[in-house]
Amino acid sequence: MLTGIFSYAVFFSCVVLILSILTLGLNLQWGFTGLFNAGIAGFYAIGAYTHAILTAAPQPQFLGNFGLPWIVGIAAATAATALAAWLIGLLTIRLRGDYLAITSFGIAVTIQLVTLNWEALTGGSQGLSRIPKPLAGTFDSPLAFNLWYLALLAAVVGLLYWGLERIVRSPWGRVLRAIREDETAALALGKSARRFRLEAFVLGAALMGLAGALYVSFIGFVSPFDFLPILTFQVWAMLIVGGSGNNRGALLGALVVWGIWAAAGALVAKLVPPSHAAQGAAVQVILIGLALVLVLLYRPRGLIGERAVVSRHADG
Amino acid sequence: MLRATVTLLLSALAATAAAQAPCPVRVGGVLPLTGSMAPITKKIAQAAELAFEHVNQGGGVKGCPVQFILRDDQGQPTVGVDAAKYLVEIERVQAFTGTISSGVTGPIISAITAPSKVVQVTCCSTASPFTLDGRSQGYFFRTIPTSKTQAYATASETMRRGFKKTAVIYVNTDFGTDMLRFYRAAMARLGGDIAVEVPYNDNQPSYRAEVTRALAAKPESLLLVGFPKDAVTIVREWLSLGGTSNVALNNSMRTLDFVNGVGARFVENFFGMDNAQVAGPHVDAFNKSFEEKFKTDSKGPGVHTQYDAVMVIALAMNIAKELNGTAIRDAVRQVHAANGTPVGTGPGEFKKALELIRAGKPVKYHGATGPIEFDRNGDVTGPALVWKISNGQLVTDRTISIEEMQGLARRIEN
Repeated sequence: MLTGIFSYAVFFSCVVLILSILTLGLNLQWGFTGLFNAGIAGFYAIGAYTHAILTAAPQPQFLGNFGLPWIVGIAAATAATALAAWLIGLLTIRLRGDYLAITSFGIAVTIQLVTLNWEALTGGSQGLSRIPKPLAGTFDSPLAFNLWYLALLAAVVGLLYWGLERIVRSPWGRVLRAIREDETAALALGKSARRFRLEAFVLGAALMGLAGALYVSFIGFVSPFDFLPILTFQVWAMLIVGGSGNNRGALLGALVVWGIWAAAGALVAKLVPPSHAAQGAAVQVILIGLALVLVLLYRPRGLIGERAVVSRHADG
Repeated sequence: MLRATVTLLLSALAATAAAQAPCPVRVGGVLPLTGSMAPITKKIAQAAELAFEHVNQGGGVKGCPVQFILRDDQGQPTVGVDAAKYLVEIERVQAFTGTISSGVTGPIISAITAPSKVVQVTCCSTASPFTLDGRSQGYFFRTIPTSKTQAYATASETMRRGFKKTAVIYVNTDFGTDMLRFYRAAMARLGGDIAVEVPYNDNQPSYRAEVTRALAAKPESLLLVGFPKDAVTIVREWLSLGGTSNVALNNSMRTLDFVNGVGARFVENFFGMDNAQVAGPHVDAFNKSFEEKFKTDSKGPGVHTQYDAVMVIALAMNIAKELNGTAIRDAVRQVHAANGTPVGTGPGEFKKALELIRAGKPVKYHGATGPIEFDRNGDVTGPALVWKISNGQLVTDRTISIEEMQGLARRIEN
């Protein structure tokens, strides 16, 4: 029982860390730059499929499946997503607010449909399987593998957090916030808003692609059903609940929202007999919604909101 | 001192864990109770509930009542995987049933079922790679026949009727592409020629473009794989543009809606395939008890196969020497032993099965979908039947026995 709880906690933490990479990416785009990206699932999909196609074991019916090493897949997935985001960004980054949201949402749906229909490359609705898990052969139990993967993810997320904290405090990060707050003022100061917005968009999307690659090499399987628009909604909920504009808020939001999601299911299964499972499941969805609403009512800026940053010379 | 206390505490904990009563035996379930699949899942979950009721009335598992813990996957892979992990690690289930969408079943197999060595039996996921590519390590079973049986039987019947050059129009889903793949492999082996393969997307007002493309290849016959509503449109356009009336159909078209939709007098030469044994006393018994309990008919996708999925798990757990995944996996193979005494659906039959198992005798389960026998991949094999339309009625033309099907599979796959 104890090992069971521990084993589940490790698995759960892995999922949370993967989701928190998505949240960190979105935080850079929305929290710091004000880019309304509603196409998270699309970038996640590009990363996931790039990794799967490059690393999965070769099969005659597929164009891809090159069986390349894990690290090559991770690097290529991040790069490919960055490239795709750059191309998409070139076309769309000048759109403001809602317009960017609609465009990016449409692009994400398009990407999902491509993965569903380009069978020779993506396996279509049947998905791609046999995606190698890194060093899986050296571990004899799923718990041992999950522990190693958790350590790996913790290192990646730690590194990303550290890096993001540094760059958002750098002059580059200050420009992003300036653009978010008042683009005209930033332009008047001679900053190319378009260039900075594009850079933040590409960097954030690259993180989403990385998260996708880490997800498929954790699960070992990928199909278009992993990239439905609900995922985009979940990541947004995580960032809003945790605290937009604060990287620690992004991390906490991933933990809290995914925690609510999982706990609501476990709770309902405990309390409701299977004969009323259908109603119980509906209650589970209500619980999730209720918890999100409560957080927003009592913590409208998120659990850890953005710190009010005033010039450090202002106090003096 | 502290260390001694901790050791004592730990060993006490370990002792309670070990001494924990094995009753009740827990079996998990993962189904999309909410989300886009929810409308069809309701009856499927009821079938599972009924099966557990029958199991418990018939004696449970190894003298214990069985507790069913059902989780919702919301039709979302991450949620489904999390639910399965929870069932396996925290509830300690050694077997579970689920789920429906192949996109959720796939990650559960590769992230939970195979690495944790627990048994998974699905009612509804038909994507063929799950059982074929070896990733499940034999822990994954399904009680729903995949498209393979049908595709092989169709190819064999097409050749028997002497149509050497065939066009295929198929629905562009995992079902349609699977059918086409197996059909293509079979035709290549049996000496037939597929003149053209035309995919279609469902819910279109007209399929003239697809039909014209298929006709251009001048085939002797047509295989149409899809669902009745669109198939009616396709067949009407096919015939009106001068297509042959030698048309082969898949099982979904075995309905009078299709026959009357096209017009009975146009479809006299049509023939189709289905899995045989979709009728019989065990099937009727299941239908009856379902209707009595839920006051609704048992028609619907996945209802019968879900009942069988649960029964297979319960029987295998009783047959297994120990309640661990590997033992249960091996016992699934003995649920339908060749020399076993036939047992059917319902609490009485389950009780009979338990008595046989306790006496060390083999059983042969005939479920709500007929005889449940798994092939080496974990798919059900079964006899097929050829049906045709005569005077506006659906009639069985001939059945292809299980031996014939196995012979056919050997010819095609070796």
